[in-house]
Amino acid sequence: MIRAENLSRHFGRIEAVRDIDFHIRKGEITGLLGPNGAGKSTTMNMITGYLAPSAGKISIDGIDIVESPEDAKKLIGYLPEQPPLYLDLTVDEYLDFVTEFKRVPKNRRKADLETIRDLVKIGDVRKRLIKNLSKGYKQRVGLAQALVGNPPLLILDEPTIGLDPKQIIEIRELIRDLGKEHTVVLSSHILPEISATCHRILIIDKGKIVASDSPENLSGRLSGASGAARQKLLIKGDADAVQAALENIPAMGSLSTGKGPEDGLSEAVIAAAGEGDIREDVFRALAAADLPILQMGPMDLSLEEIFLNLTTTEEEA
Amino acid sequence: MLAIFKKELKSYFLTPTGWIFLAVFLLVSGISFATQLVFPGNSQYTMFLTGLLFVYLFVVPLLTMRIFTDEKRFKTDQLLLTGPSNLWGIVMGKFLAALAVFLITIAVTFIYPLLLSFHGKLDWPMIIGTYIGFVLLGAAFIAIGVFVSQVSEGVVSAAVLTFCAIIITFIIDFMQQYMPTTEPSGLVWAVILIALPLSWLYSSGKNWAVTAAVALVLAVMLLLFWFFGRTLFFGLIGKSLGWLSLTRRFGSFSMGILSLDAILYYLSFSGFFLFMTVQSLEKRRWS
Ligand SMILES: Nc1ncnc2c1ncn2[C@@H]1O[C@H](COP(=O)(O)OP(=O)(O)OP(=O)(O)O)[C@@H](O)[C@H]1O
Ligand SMILES: [Mg+2]
Repeated sequence: MIRAENLSRHFGRIEAVRDIDFHIRKGEITGLLGPNGAGKSTTMNMITGYLAPSAGKISIDGIDIVESPEDAKKLIGYLPEQPPLYLDLTVDEYLDFVTEFKRVPKNRRKADLETIRDLVKIGDVRKRLIKNLSKGYKQRVGLAQALVGNPPLLILDEPTIGLDPKQIIEIRELIRDLGKEHTVVLSSHILPEISATCHRILIIDKGKIVASDSPENLSGRLSGASGAARQKLLIKGDADAVQAALENIPAMGSLSTGKGPEDGLSEAVIAAAGEGDIREDVFRALAAADLPILQMGPMDLSLEEIFLNLTTTEEEA
Repeated sequence: MLAIFKKELKSYFLTPTGWIFLAVFLLVSGISFATQLVFPGNSQYTMFLTGLLFVYLFVVPLLTMRIFTDEKRFKTDQLLLTGPSNLWGIVMGKFLAALAVFLITIAVTFIYPLLLSFHGKLDWPMIIGTYIGFVLLGAAFIAIGVFVSQVSEGVVSAAVLTFCAIIITFIIDFMQQYMPTTEPSGLVWAVILIALPLSWLYSSGKNWAVTAAVALVLAVMLLLFWFFGRTLFFGLIGKSLGWLSLTRRFGSFSMGILSLDAILYYLSFSGFFLFMTVQSLEKRRWS
């Protein structure tokens, strides 16, 4: 559906996207994951024809977006990072404008809007001015705008930003539903956000793709569920005593201890030196020193750590 | 294009902008109508209309300052530029909507000559001619405003720059008399005039070879003119500035003459600025 070759984009001296290639298949939900400033929005702006690439090519369903923009743009529904809303219009006026602008045939307009309003649940704000809507509702109106004309390809830049947890779950379900009949590309800087909905994840960092895989494989590599990954412990006892007890484990790779959240508790973060599992050793050492373990579990990897992890392992390979 | 036109026209009257435009124009024209024509018992309607031209200076920036600046500010240009419409459709839709607000206002002022006609005989062909000139001139100013709002970053700078651009077209007639008329000065001016589109050509294509080739052809032509048709350069600065004088051509309309020349002049002037707007929109995608 989307094919990008040697795609680059710079703004003056800043290189926002550097020479990336990807191929997004029809019917897939693909997630672009990356930290702030990684180049996600820039990539999406190039796919939708808002920005022209500095180098490289993009084609939508075989149609080059630079050479025949009008044909390619018909296939795309785009929700940019900031929803493109005319604040002085009411929701209905705005959506009427978008349907006409996107050249939906007259006889289909009413039914189409009806369906879309039901999908994104904005039926109760139809007559309100957009500038008076809450952020979450503005986001939904933006999503509605992208769905107008029922385009086969949906590009959604951080679609759940600014929504409350209940709405996030609703929108995720909506995206999964849409994914049954549309090709969807969405972006986020939160891993669980993307792994919940996507068939495939492209991880972008500093304008480059550092990984491209299914969520299952990525979480296998990243989630840290195995014993070899870093573990975080909550222990009843003094931090110095914990340090002394754990130091002597031969397979211990890294160790740091500190005061816990309450008096009399301490925390420790440990990692094995090699691939081995040291959880049992830790249990025995602490039991011998009479320091009860209250909690032990894999540490949540922050996004920065995932990138660090990915970039270093890719380089080693 | 129609969708944008309808939406823009609606927005003018949903926000204060359209109403302020209407109010200012009618207030100023009403006051001067009363003081110049009604109280003195004068019926020189065309002179009155010509005197109204200065109002453009204040109302055109008001009408055009938000056209593209707000699209950029609220990122709604992302909707327009990723939709199935081409750039001309977007620019024309917006231009025609501004022009429509202007026409509605002008239509209201038609009450004045109707009022006058109860009291004395009016020269209708002259009045209609002046109105046509009025509208054409307004369209040219609005086209300038559309272009300026596309190239400026904020609403305020768009308004100020449009104001300046219109003032320049007013005083250019006057400035013209003080320009050097000698042939060498004309040559220097011609070189400057050629350099401008060349630099634009280079910046839009970044292609040295093409730019150099065009520059060479133009330079050879200049030299040929210099040696075989030197009179061309005499008073060239004044002549080319005169080309920018929008108000001078207004004169023929207020005498009731519809000259094809003047009509084409205004239309191509507007067309040129709308073309530049489209170019600028296109260029923004690449930079
Ligand atoms: N119009 C612009 N002019 C100059 N620099 C820009 C422009 N747009 C983006 N950039 C730069 O390009 C880089 C990538 O930006 P982009 O918006 O694509 O990141 P992102 O991955 O979407 O980040 P976020 O998660 O914050 O939305 C950033 O360094 C940004 O500063
Ligand atoms: Mg972004």
